[in-house]
Amino acid sequence: MDAATLCLAMIGFASLLSVFATIMAVLDRDLLRAALFSALQSTLYAFLFYVLMAPDIVLVYVAVAVGIYPLLIVLLIKKVGRFEEVGR
Amino acid sequence: MRNVVVALAVVFTVLLLAYATYLGALGPIPPNDLRELAKALLERSYRPWNPFNTSMCPEAVTAVVWDFRGLDTVFETVVFYGAIVATLALYRTTSRSLGLVGERLSLIVRYATLVSVPMILIVAAATALHGQLTPGGGFQGGAIAAVAPVVALVVFGRRKLLDLGVTYVKALIVRNLALVAIALTALGPLIAGIVLGIDAYVLQNQGKVGAPLSYPPWILDVPSGGSVILFNIFEALAVAAGFTLVFLTLALDEETARRELVGEDRGW
Amino acid sequence: MVGDPKTLVALIVLFSLYANLGASMYGVIARKNLVKKLICLTMLGDTVNVFAILVGYRLSRGGTPVPPVFTEWSKASEKLLANFVSRSVDPLPQALVLTAIVINLAVTIFLATLILYTHRHFGTVEMDRVSEMKKGELVDEVEVS
Repeated sequence: MDAATLCLAMIGFASLLSVFATIMAVLDRDLLRAALFSALQSTLYAFLFYVLMAPDIVLVYVAVAVGIYPLLIVLLIKKVGRFEEVGR
Repeated sequence: MRNVVVALAVVFTVLLLAYATYLGALGPIPPNDLRELAKALLERSYRPWNPFNTSMCPEAVTAVVWDFRGLDTVFETVVFYGAIVATLALYRTTSRSLGLVGERLSLIVRYATLVSVPMILIVAAATALHGQLTPGGGFQGGAIAAVAPVVALVVFGRRKLLDLGVTYVKALIVRNLALVAIALTALGPLIAGIVLGIDAYVLQNQGKVGAPLSYPPWILDVPSGGSVILFNIFEALAVAAGFTLVFLTLALDEETARRELVGEDRGW
Repeated sequence: MVGDPKTLVALIVLFSLYANLGASMYGVIARKNLVKKLICLTMLGDTVNVFAILVGYRLSRGGTPVPPVFTEWSKASEKLLANFVSRSVDPLPQALVLTAIVINLAVTIFLATLILYTHRHFGTVEMDRVSEMKKGELVDEVEVS
């Protein structure tokens, strides 16, 4: 397996894993875990940006989507409560 | 029941979009060749042998952001600060109040943060100042720099940050000065043109045929991108200060924030 | 057609992006919690950004494509520039996404503040309960007047 094939396999794996992360983030009733799954999805997207030859986007996206944004959500969850109500 | 209907509608919409993509609405993905517009942008971003038709900025993305689509970016900056000002306006007079109270984090965490915060700031400065040569620029540098006060806010607490001199008013001043500097950089050629009595444009970077004013295209022997480097520096300052402001207000404890709301439904 | 690994991976990425798009749209519409709606909204925006970058990508005949950064500026010549243009990816979607991410964050912060205010006012961030309370408030006001 040469480097190019490995890279392609990693792209495919990352995008499929991002589907898992998104679905878990939508379905999880624990908002903190949802925020973490969303951060996982952001990390995978940062990798996708990198292999799609967009280093500028990676620089801004890592700081925003993996650093500032989960912190914002955690601050919000700290104030409004961690668990979603079970649907009625 | 309602959720099932929503799910079916979403699936239908996504399938419709996917079918449009399959039919070639966006062209082949990924495309085999560049669009003509992209070719034109890439060719004009750095072309020192043709000084009247280039932005002298080897980094094509930054050249697009601050030169080819400069007006667009200026108004996007306006939207960005509109959102931040709206956030701050909701917390009207909270700049004087106290911060989060809680236990301090462990010694290791505090010292590690003390070491890493200056490093984050250095990386941010490098990203912003090299924006015209290597991947990076104002937005990236500002976003990285904003991580430093945010981390410090979480680790040391709001009170300590205020004691260290990172206050609401100072961040506000830095942000406003940076925004004024962006406006002046955009209007600079026009003002100089009026004074000298020659033609010039708003947001002009390098000289054009018939409008010869231009920002210096070189710093020593390195291409500076003309106005691009100035825009990068000011935008980085403005973005970092804006996010610092917002997080300083968002980190307020609930009781102080609620005090501002007493009697809201009866008018102030 | 699917036998080519590049095409296969492109199809997988497209499939995942559409799946993410659908999942986060469902989250924005169907979930009742405002914080959950906010999380899903940002995921939706990120997915669309990746899509824009993917549309700006290109396959290069002479080896791998390069980022839109002209690194050989110190010895720039027409030949080097032509070579760069023949390999670089599209800079325009990247520039648009760049500003979109930062503005998205500012708008997200504003929405977070609004959610915080909803919580202070109603004591909950569940849409159902908020709308019930609003109905109650409306009735109160009608009765008072």
